[in-house]
Amino acid sequence: MQLMEIKNLLKFRISFWALFLFLILAAPLSSSAADIGNCLLCHKYPGLSRIDEEGKFRLMYVNEEIFNQSVHAKVKCEGCHPDIQKIPHEPAKKVDCLTQCHIIEPSSEKKFSHKDVAESLATSAHAKVDKKGQPKPYPEDIPTCKNCHENPLYRPLSFFKRVRPGISDVALGRCRVCHKSDEFIYRFYNHVTTRLHKIRNPKNIAQVCGRCHDDDEIIARHNLSTKAVFSYGETFHGKAARFLEEKIPDCLDCHVKPGESVHQMLRHDDPNSITHINNRGRICASMDCHPNATPQMATYKVHAEFNREQSPFQYYFQVFFIVLAGGTLLPLMGLLFLDLFRRLFPNAVIKRSKSTNGKTSQNQDKKR
Amino acid sequence: MERHLKIKIKNGKKYFYKFTPIQRAQHITIATCVIVLALTGMPLKFHDTFWAPHLYALFGGIKVAPVVHKIAGTVLMLLFMFHLIYVGFSIVRDMIIPLKKKKQLRVSSVLKSLVTHPIMPSFKDVRDIIDLLKYYLFITDERPAGAKFTWKEKFDYWAPFWGIVIMVTTGLIMWQKEIVTRFLPGVVINLALIAHSDEALLAALFLFIWHFYNVHFSTSVFPMGTVFITGYLPEHLMVEEHYEYYKQVMKAAGLEDEILAADGSAATKSEKAPETNRVISVSDLPRVS
Repeated sequence: MQLMEIKNLLKFRISFWALFLFLILAAPLSSSAADIGNCLLCHKYPGLSRIDEEGKFRLMYVNEEIFNQSVHAKVKCEGCHPDIQKIPHEPAKKVDCLTQCHIIEPSSEKKFSHKDVAESLATSAHAKVDKKGQPKPYPEDIPTCKNCHENPLYRPLSFFKRVRPGISDVALGRCRVCHKSDEFIYRFYNHVTTRLHKIRNPKNIAQVCGRCHDDDEIIARHNLSTKAVFSYGETFHGKAARFLEEKIPDCLDCHVKPGESVHQMLRHDDPNSITHINNRGRICASMDCHPNATPQMATYKVHAEFNREQSPFQYYFQVFFIVLAGGTLLPLMGLLFLDLFRRLFPNAVIKRSKSTNGKTSQNQDKKR
Repeated sequence: MERHLKIKIKNGKKYFYKFTPIQRAQHITIATCVIVLALTGMPLKFHDTFWAPHLYALFGGIKVAPVVHKIAGTVLMLLFMFHLIYVGFSIVRDMIIPLKKKKQLRVSSVLKSLVTHPIMPSFKDVRDIIDLLKYYLFITDERPAGAKFTWKEKFDYWAPFWGIVIMVTTGLIMWQKEIVTRFLPGVVINLALIAHSDEALLAALFLFIWHFYNVHFSTSVFPMGTVFITGYLPEHLMVEEHYEYYKQVMKAAGLEDEILAADGSAATKSEKAPETNRVISVSDLPRVS
């Protein structure tokens, strides 16, 4: 057995080296800014893949063009994959988002890391421990970075007269007055304007949250009160989001306190939470949404599911209308089908009445 | 004075006056509004179906369709208000003033003429439904002899009457939610949505299946009933649905000899050549209500 494994490994090694040499000879050196380690030498090939130890298909292909449009375009491969020191490399470890990468954060001039985000998250509704520091049950359900984030693409905005969303040539012209490197200009334009709005549209945001918050098992395990994205989808907000309206509120617009980030969301029963019943009115009545709303508007049951357990009043109200509809339509449809059937056999009858003929003869008599 | 003809004879066929121009105008308005409202509302109710985004896109998608919906809803609301005024005016013109002339104007006499008005439900409707069931179940070969308005038509009138009240109220609650929640708790918006959405489906199915079947798709009328445009109902439909009223009108017009049998057979086809074009002016006729 062992011999076989070694043989296989050897085969793999040999074929790998052969491929590696072929790639070195065949491919001109790539010159991507982020690709100092020349990783794309191999990873630019769309077929680069393998079945990993868990039996999962892994695609290792990196589309350079797409990657360069992403928010991590300036991060070198080694920035997220520090365990890779030589080529060819061993199977890479999973990326830890809290690693210090080689980017210098300009305001502090320190190496950048997402550690601060993790700290925010640790005191939010999505923390692995509760307020008393006790670990929550089912820690594997609590989201970490990669449960919500992939490597998002830039989604630049324009603010000039009559221009499309995206990079504006007018803006670029202004940047070039002072900044010399176009690569720098593009990146900062993208960086800043992408963050002035949302990378994802409301529908996509809801989909991300729904991965857990519409999962029946997770809802039951954590005793959540609603299938959040499903019930949101039954409101006008959710329906408009489904029709790709961008300006409609999504999960984050109501659940994130203005001025804070997604990672600081609190449970609705926390008095500091914007979704706490005492604070909720401020969200609805925000300047850009329902400025004339009173706090009472926030007593609208956004996450009502109309089932008996969760919202009995609404449920029975709905039952009344279903009974009304059924009670009206079913008898009428019954009559309709009887009518259709009767018209198939207009002359068939169990007992022919004399009156019709009688009337006829009466009239004829009169005529005569 | 009314200038319409009670019975119009064209190419030897009789047509019976049924709807005044103002009634037809109201009907076309409500029909247009309801169709537009259904087309711009159903994609929201059935938002997760494959057809919803495409149908919605026809009305301008999420940015425009809700505006179209609100415009149509407002027109419907105004029409309903107009209709109430119209009904009030008709009551004064056709009930109160004649009663006054006869010096019989009392609350009881007005109530009596209201209750016995042809559009009000009556015991005859129950009998007609039972008789219709007998006909449908092949127990008899006679349809019930309908009055001026059959139970189906009364249903077609009163169901949308209740429906419009519900739809307009709940629609306004959702539209003006900021004002409404100043006085009422937020849960009324939840309830308004349920009522609006479920009542809409009921109304749409009722109108587009039941009403359309009766007035357009039934084999007696197919491919299309024209009374909602012309105001005149052809004789064979008059006989089939309103036999009792038909006989009254024919007698009042002095056409007793030409009354068809209840099964529509030309019982009195005479030796005399039929007149092909003739009008019977209303001034010749006593008023039949």
